[in-house]
Amino acid sequence: AAMRSRAEVDATLQTAKLNPAELLPAVHCLSFGPQAGGGECCLLQLEPGLCAELEAGRSLIIRGEKDEHAVLCSKDKTYDMKIADTSNMLLFVPGCKTPEELNADPASCNIIHSQIAGFSKNYWELRRCRPKLKKLRKLLMEDPYEGPDSQKDQTSTFSKYTTEDLLSLIQASEEEILHQLQIIDACKIEGYWRILDFDYEMKLLSHVTQLIDSESWPLSKVPLCACLEELGSLEPREMIEHILLSYGRKYVDDGVVFFEMREDKICRAIAQMLLQNAVKFNLSEFEEVWQQSVPEGMTTRLDQLQGLALVDKSSRPETIFLLKVEDLPEDNQERFNSLFGIREKWTEVDITPYIQDLCAEKQTVGALLTKYARSSMLNGVKVFNSRRPIS
Amino acid sequence: SGGTGALAQWVLVELQGEVQPRQGGDLAGSLLGDLHYTREGVPVLIVGHHILYGKVVQLEKPFAVLVKQGGAPQPSPAGPHGHYTVAALIKTKLLFKTRPKPIITHVPKKV
Repeated sequence: AAMRSRAEVDATLQTAKLNPAELLPAVHCLSFGPQAGGGECCLLQLEPGLCAELEAGRSLIIRGEKDEHAVLCSKDKTYDMKIADTSNMLLFVPGCKTPEELNADPASCNIIHSQIAGFSKNYWELRRCRPKLKKLRKLLMEDPYEGPDSQKDQTSTFSKYTTEDLLSLIQASEEEILHQLQIIDACKIEGYWRILDFDYEMKLLSHVTQLIDSESWPLSKVPLCACLEELGSLEPREMIEHILLSYGRKYVDDGVVFFEMREDKICRAIAQMLLQNAVKFNLSEFEEVWQQSVPEGMTTRLDQLQGLALVDKSSRPETIFLLKVEDLPEDNQERFNSLFGIREKWTEVDITPYIQDLCAEKQTVGALLTKYARSSMLNGVKVFNSRRPIS
Repeated sequence: SGGTGALAQWVLVELQGEVQPRQGGDLAGSLLGDLHYTREGVPVLIVGHHILYGKVVQLEKPFAVLVKQGGAPQPSPAGPHGHYTVAALIKTKLLFKTRPKPIITHVPKKV
């Protein structure tokens, strides 16, 4: 189509009975560009901070397999995506100036021919969400690292993931993924992220704790070098250092690297080792064996086992059993269904470690309980049960 | 992805109803109308035989215009899966919500 001329524009103004004196001199003649109807463009509504990220040249990435709801990831946050319908037509116009811009530039052209790049009746809305990290552990658990002597590693190369692999498979931002890898004590072996097989991990840990004991080192001052020297013939040095990093806090004193061993984490791991061998244990028997099993100088406490084990105070005698929060469903409703399937009524103290991770940015455990559970009083104590019948 | 260099700033024009080409032809290449501003900054859009008055709105939540890579047209509404680049940012919209005033005439005056 031929471009409109100034004369045609003025003629239209006259027909419309608009007074040119009341208008700014510049006119935009809008037409549809060649790609306009193609549907290749879509609109994404940006949450605070995302606009600045884009302007700074950073990327946003949409992640998700065909069977997953897509999420949008910035460098460090994850957002659910949802289509919002408007009843209006939204046209996106490049090179269209606002009155301020026209007034600021008096020399601006009298006719601006603007091509509409595309249009839509809807746009993508974003809502900040928890990163979907359960899959990360699941992937790494496909092939836990059992040590250099393991036959497995030499033969199979499948089910091993690099950072890039994980970025393309996990619906979370890069920072959230790297942070989670640190939390689950994953390590990079030959370029692949690996989780240690629990038995191998305990073997490494016991090498270290036995050495600490035989050398009479204080638990707060375990020297890295000596560990590597003494244990280097038993296990790869990277693994020794990894176990120290996992179960200790690294610091430097006068140029020498030491570790302050983490009592709670070590006691917790030993408890898991004991509990995984049976369905449940007599609580007092367990507590005795547990205390005897931890390194000299460490004290066991039940609160070290939050999110790992559950005490049944209603049974006689009281029992304890393994229940790991990371084994439970990631979805809120499914998590609550699962918990209420395990136990009909929960106190807030007992359930909190198993729902804490579900809390959104500013959400409290109390708010979650209000939404997904019903409260009642039992023997003077407030308890929570399911809102719906559990089959 | 964001890409290097400054991102283009586009404007959103929001209209009520459908946009349909005249004589049922292709939209691509066809004229929509003339966009004027009054001296007070009120946008005035002349579309066909209608005058629309609108207002300039600074968007609280800006938009990014995403262009799908790979050439294939937009697939199912099920998901936005695929690679996109950001073609532009939109921080301003021209909102035309008022009932269009019809232009009573037969034929636009020709020069």
